[in-house]
Amino acid sequence: MVDLSDRQIGAEIVAACRSGDRDAFRVVYDLYKDRVYSIALYFFHGEQAAASDVTQQIFLKLMTSMGQFRGDAEFSTWLYRLVVNACLDAARRRKSDAAISDRPCLDAFAGPGSQEEDYARAQMASSVRAAVSALPAKFRMAVLLRYFEDLSYEQMAKALHCSMGTVASRLSRGHRMLAERLKGLRDTKG
Amino acid sequence: MFTRHVSRQLAAHMDGELTQPLARQVELHTAHCAHCRAEREQVRFGMEILDRLPPVEAPDAIWLSIEAAFREQRSRKMPVARRWRWAFSATAVLALLGAAYWTVVHRPGTRWDVVRIDGSPTVIRAGEWIETNSGSSATVKVGEIGSVEVAPNTRLRVVTARPGEHRLALARGEIRAKISAPPRLFFVDTVSGTAVDLGCEYTLNTDEAGFGLLQVTKGWVSFQWQGIESLVPAGASCRIRPKFGPGIPYFDDGSESMRQALENFGFEKGADGALNVILAEARVRDTLTLWHLLSRVEAEDRARVYDRMASLTPVPAGVSREEALKLDAETLKRWKEELAWTW
Repeated sequence: MVDLSDRQIGAEIVAACRSGDRDAFRVVYDLYKDRVYSIALYFFHGEQAAASDVTQQIFLKLMTSMGQFRGDAEFSTWLYRLVVNACLDAARRRKSDAAISDRPCLDAFAGPGSQEEDYARAQMASSVRAAVSALPAKFRMAVLLRYFEDLSYEQMAKALHCSMGTVASRLSRGHRMLAERLKGLRDTKG
Repeated sequence: MFTRHVSRQLAAHMDGELTQPLARQVELHTAHCAHCRAEREQVRFGMEILDRLPPVEAPDAIWLSIEAAFREQRSRKMPVARRWRWAFSATAVLALLGAAYWTVVHRPGTRWDVVRIDGSPTVIRAGEWIETNSGSSATVKVGEIGSVEVAPNTRLRVVTARPGEHRLALARGEIRAKISAPPRLFFVDTVSGTAVDLGCEYTLNTDEAGFGLLQVTKGWVSFQWQGIESLVPAGASCRIRPKFGPGIPYFDDGSESMRQALENFGFEKGADGALNVILAEARVRDTLTLWHLLSRVEAEDRARVYDRMASLTPVPAGVSREEALKLDAETLKRWKEELAWTW
């Protein structure tokens, strides 16, 4: 899980961004870029070009609309609302979204170990990414926001434009769908 | 009393997001309901497995487009009257700059700033040399896209210095390049080929004959010589040799025996045992090495390389053994794109 304590955006940074301070915006960018990019990357089935495009759009939108941020919500909630909108809009524009949902996956578990362990890790990572990619968009986004941003249900509800009950329901169902698709891994894990 | 299943609340319960009464209700229900207990285990397993997916680093190129937008936004924010005054002044300044630019580009070469040689700043133009001795070093500012640290005992020439192409020639010695730009804007020529920046940081050394080493610390570098290309990601290195070009890239955390075998395999004849060592020592991320080997081994050895790769990591959809062994360009590209996640 992500530690939120290292990435709080203070009011002074927001104010500096509003006044067009490039360095302040760079601070915001550096703080969030990897997480925003990761969500986009997993959301778009590991397609780096699509993830880069969407990440760029999100930060450009953030830059131009910083003046509209009134400070009555947490900055991260506001940012992730942009993330959700940008990803879902881009997905709607991409007719091939469903067609590529069974693409193979990112090996996130590479590391030292025996060759058998390496193979098992690679296979597991491949399966996990494929399973995440295959989730319907609304479940996929809920799961990604939860895991890359560790948002509270309240923050997620605001970002996803839905109730906290719906967030809870999507996460429960999303995790169960993942478990169902990955039950082979559970069996081999013992 | 507890007939209503609690499937929808299971994740929230595990995440501690339920109120106390609701949490208690879920606990009581699951204690008596095998169906919901099974579902809880599924949710727990889903959470457990997702916990292991790490964030991925965003490419540097994204920031460049944001910066460009920043500049554009600033110019738009200017008040109209001021903008006219600015435009008028800018026209005059641009005319002067244009004249200055013309005189500069029509002289021997365009200037590059050398920030430091023995502490004293100077400038150089295309066609000029930078040379350091055993006690000196230099930092060259590469236009707006980065910088190059020039180590002692290095001889380096600026070949081209224009926005679309920044090219150096490294005659001998060592440089460390830090480039933040779209791919293929920065090049370093050596006797053994050309390092093409794909958005990265790297160290490149060579002697006067062309023997050297490329070590990449961030991003990617493509090293090319007469149609041979080695793609080197962060954490990997690649030997270079005159008349051979780039060797097979390898990860720096691999075994010494593998590195030695690659040395023999890439550049020396009759190193039959080398391929055996490479195949035996390869880990999942060493598919970087194996992917390059596919197109550089003799046809009779190619199947062994393919089989080893397939045993290390699942072959992705769209990649067939037959096409891979035929070195079908599209197949190799697709496989590389999938393997690159592990590199």
